[in-house]
Amino acid sequence: MQRFAIHPRNNWQQAVEQLGFGFHTANVPYWDESAYYSFRLGEIELIERATAELWELCLVAVQHVIDEQLYGKFAIPKDFVPYIEKTWEADHPSIYGRFDLCFRDGQVKLLEFNADTPTSLFEAGIIQWFWLRDFDKDKDQFNSIHEKLIAYWSYLQSWLHPGKLHFACVRESLEDLSNTEYLRDCAIQSGLETQLLYIDDIGWDKANKVFVDRQDQPIQNIFKLYPWEWMAGEEFGPNILADRNLSYWIEPAWKMILSNKAILPILWDLYPGNPWLLPAYFEPGPLTDYVRKPILSREGANIDLVRSGNLIQQTGGEYGTEGHIYQQLFALPDFDGKHPVLGSWIIGQEPAGMGIRESDNLVTDNLSRFIPHLIS
Amino acid sequence: MKKTKQIQLVLMTALLASCDRPEPQWRAGGRTYIRSDSTAPYTVMQHSHPGYAFLFYAFRPYGIYTPFGYRRLGYYSNALSEEVNIGHSAVKSGIVRGGFGESALSVES
Repeated sequence: MQRFAIHPRNNWQQAVEQLGFGFHTANVPYWDESAYYSFRLGEIELIERATAELWELCLVAVQHVIDEQLYGKFAIPKDFVPYIEKTWEADHPSIYGRFDLCFRDGQVKLLEFNADTPTSLFEAGIIQWFWLRDFDKDKDQFNSIHEKLIAYWSYLQSWLHPGKLHFACVRESLEDLSNTEYLRDCAIQSGLETQLLYIDDIGWDKANKVFVDRQDQPIQNIFKLYPWEWMAGEEFGPNILADRNLSYWIEPAWKMILSNKAILPILWDLYPGNPWLLPAYFEPGPLTDYVRKPILSREGANIDLVRSGNLIQQTGGEYGTEGHIYQQLFALPDFDGKHPVLGSWIIGQEPAGMGIRESDNLVTDNLSRFIPHLIS
Repeated sequence: MKKTKQIQLVLMTALLASCDRPEPQWRAGGRTYIRSDSTAPYTVMQHSHPGYAFLFYAFRPYGIYTPFGYRRLGYYSNALSEEVNIGHSAVKSGIVRGGFGESALSVES
């Protein structure tokens, strides 16, 4: 893994906007093609293998949490437990997830799993691919995101309930809308009938006890870019349990287990010494160099980095009331003060590609930049 | 690693265009079509003075108070005929919206 500084394309803003990428720059640049990361094929194959095996470990861990009734460690509302188990036993489909990995000194380590509402899918699947076509069209990339999304939506056609597949996200975020519309784009190309609505447009038909869209038509299949822990706590949360259609929500409710950082100590307990995992506990225990993370948090908020018992970095935020986990510190690699984290995608049960976000410190937060990559 | 070299987008390339809409027709003095809620048809508004008056006439929310707080049901407008203000759905009175989406402006994860 190497980092190379380069000159961005002269017209890069226009080039990415023509693809529908409108959030390339906020207060600070987000899409950054002033550099790229280069990987050898063997390194990519290692990341791919880690991703595939981590997914298998995660599925076993879900069953373990259910069997042992460990929901208390996840702060999952008790009312939702039977529903989570129902969606797991009925195999409610999952389309995707993103493992955040540290790749350093030839080792791949899982930092966390964004299993419910991962973003940066569009830039990983499309924007960096078209960057590579301009930069060096003879090179390859760890990226079959687009093909796998279309293929898996196509596979799900016979699995979903009859009728449309709705897509929902918050209305205030272009980033969320872009990720959602990209997924819908792939679903359309797979032959599915789709409809977009905003999350607050979802209606509840009190008489029939079903969710409805803006035209008051029943929702039976819906992709939502909106976290389960928020849905469960909002006014319509109990309606999910009462829904007569037993709609397919994608990602499904059983992802509440995997998207929660409490899964990290569970995985370590199940697979101590696994090469892809870092030691993790619900208490600091034997760790002296560790990262303290809220079990429910987003974008690097409320993280403490501790080395030899001393706090070396801390981020603010509003998370942490549900509890924390402690994971052995495995610092991101340092490329002249740039720290990359790999976002490795699992789509339709298979590794599908990678996006890299880079920060100026050891915690990847909402100021991180997306850097393209290639295989040398 | 890449299985195909042909990437097609059917939706995304139009996304930004839809976010960057041209000046609304009503600003240019054209006919304006509005509806009071998603169950009602679009109807031309009867007032010809856009601007503040348009906002006053077109966007007056109505709703009900429930044990969970105020629920918006739609918008009422003097610029629309009565039947259009009501909409057609027989079950409309039994449908509530806005029960999701209170937690944040973006999921960003």
